Amino acid sequence: MLFLQLIADGLVNGCAIGVVAITFTYVYTTTGVFHVSHAGVFTLGGYLAWYLSKEGIPFVLCVVLAMLICAAVGAAIEKGIYEKLLKRQATPLVQLIASLGLLAVLQNLVAILFTPNVLQFESIAWRMNVLHFGPIDLTIPQVLTVLTAFAAVYGLIYFSTKTNLGRRIRAVASNRTLAEITRLKPFEVYVYVMAISSALVVLPSVFIGLDQAMQPYSSVLVLLTAVIAVISGGLGSIRGAFSASLVMGIVQNAVLIVVPGRWSIALTFTLFIVFILFRPTGLFATKIRRAS
Amino acid sequence: MNFFLSYIILAEIFAIVALSTNFLVGVIGIFSVSQAAIMGVGAYAYAIAVMAGIPFPLALLLAIALCALLNVATSLPSLRLEGDYFVVTSFGLQIVATAVFMNWSAVTGGTSGIAGIPAPRFSGLSFDEPENFVFLSTFALALASASYWLLMRSSYGRTLHAIRLDELAAVAAGRHVLQMKLGISAVSGAYAGLGGALYAIFMSFIDPSSFEIHVSVLILTMLVVGGARTLAGSILGPFIILAVPQMLTLLALPPHLIGPLRSLAFGVILVSFMLWLPKGLAGRKI
Repeated sequence: MLFLQLIADGLVNGCAIGVVAITFTYVYTTTGVFHVSHAGVFTLGGYLAWYLSKEGIPFVLCVVLAMLICAAVGAAIEKGIYEKLLKRQATPLVQLIASLGLLAVLQNLVAILFTPNVLQFESIAWRMNVLHFGPIDLTIPQVLTVLTAFAAVYGLIYFSTKTNLGRRIRAVASNRTLAEITRLKPFEVYVYVMAISSALVVLPSVFIGLDQAMQPYSSVLVLLTAVIAVISGGLGSIRGAFSASLVMGIVQNAVLIVVPGRWSIALTFTLFIVFILFRPTGLFATKIRRAS
Repeated sequence: MNFFLSYIILAEIFAIVALSTNFLVGVIGIFSVSQAAIMGVGAYAYAIAVMAGIPFPLALLLAIALCALLNVATSLPSLRLEGDYFVVTSFGLQIVATAVFMNWSAVTGGTSGIAGIPAPRFSGLSFDEPENFVFLSTFALALASASYWLLMRSSYGRTLHAIRLDELAAVAAGRHVLQMKLGISAVSGAYAGLGGALYAIFMSFIDPSSFEIHVSVLILTMLVVGGARTLAGSILGPFIILAVPQMLTLLALPPHLIGPLRSLAFGVILVSFMLWLPKGLAGRKI
């Protein structure tokens, strides 16, 4: 039964990682920026929701507000930094270093404005409530993680295939020069993409924070796991990234049976390096799209 | 006086590590955020070797060789694939290294680290004191700078620049691109190992927090501020950046905010330089 519980917990983690992964890949395939500071937006979203809930604002409103603020922050990052760099034809390396700097700015702003210590959503009473599914126990935040993750994935897939803006985003992603000629305004599209991704990434941040705890610097690990999932799933595929995240979440938890928890991170990365050596195109082999 | 000497010594040590990063970021143009991890491996390897009774030159060589090997091993998959995979393996290496430093307590001393690392003595002269150690670190930096300068002017160095500018053309011209990249990874690792070993000797105490991801970002900031690809940039950067925390201490700040404020300052510096001065103060275009 312990094994089933571990699998279920892994699935929940996988869902949370999955939302980070699909939003990361959405930005990456469209704008070509290796958006490391996504982890900073993740952190910011969680802390904003925490702060708002502490002020006595209803929880749903807290999440929505945090999502809106992060959407604005994402759009501002695109407008203020990435767009400037892209227009100046900065190399991917320069964009990456700028993104890394931005990550440090966001994380440390959170640490200074709120607290650098581990913190919990004390004001939310129901966060410890447990639901029973046969032999498996899940807390309400865990259930919400899964539900919102699936909503985010299918919402994003629906959005990008069925709506005009979504189709426009895909057009820009597949060929920026052509999109520019046909007046699809790629730079405007990038702002939308960053706003959407930054808003969605708040969801896993809040629910992981609710279920466990938050710390300003831990999000890098979440993002890295997500990026590993993105690469393993084959770059550019939303479904691939999400499925790979689920697999990673389950594997990371299942190995806890044989490996002590403190080693699981090291094990994941070592496995990834070996994996990438033999299967550079990922599980669902699609063409590698490089940021160039 | 000691305070000033320590600043010089630390800046010199970090200049060696910045040169190591320069090989990757400046010369072949790949991102690296794990230089502190490699430096840490050098520091731990040296400390463990010396405390096991291995003489100083041998322990230093061991640390350097181990780091060269490790840098090659971890960059192998990414060099084959170029570009963004290196970001992930680089971040990954940093996190794995920190996990190993923290959790392999039997060897690394866990979170409490290793204390009392002995300094070498030569003919009665001990390098415990900063007054003496500064000669050792200056000598090491001079050696590293000279070899960097010579290497960049050799045909090997020129080919490396060619690879960064146009890898396909370098391949077409019959250059063994992968071998050359692996070679430079080894050199870069060796520099970081040297820096790490010197750090261990100077501080005589090492723990996992000395080689965390923040330190890697710090090293990258030094390189970015000084400027990529030039010798002057890698030496200038550490001297400037290490002065920042000193300046922050002048503003009477609450102690728990100093760490985050320092990192915030480095983040702002990174973004600003990328936006307005990607060449750094004394570097070339990256």
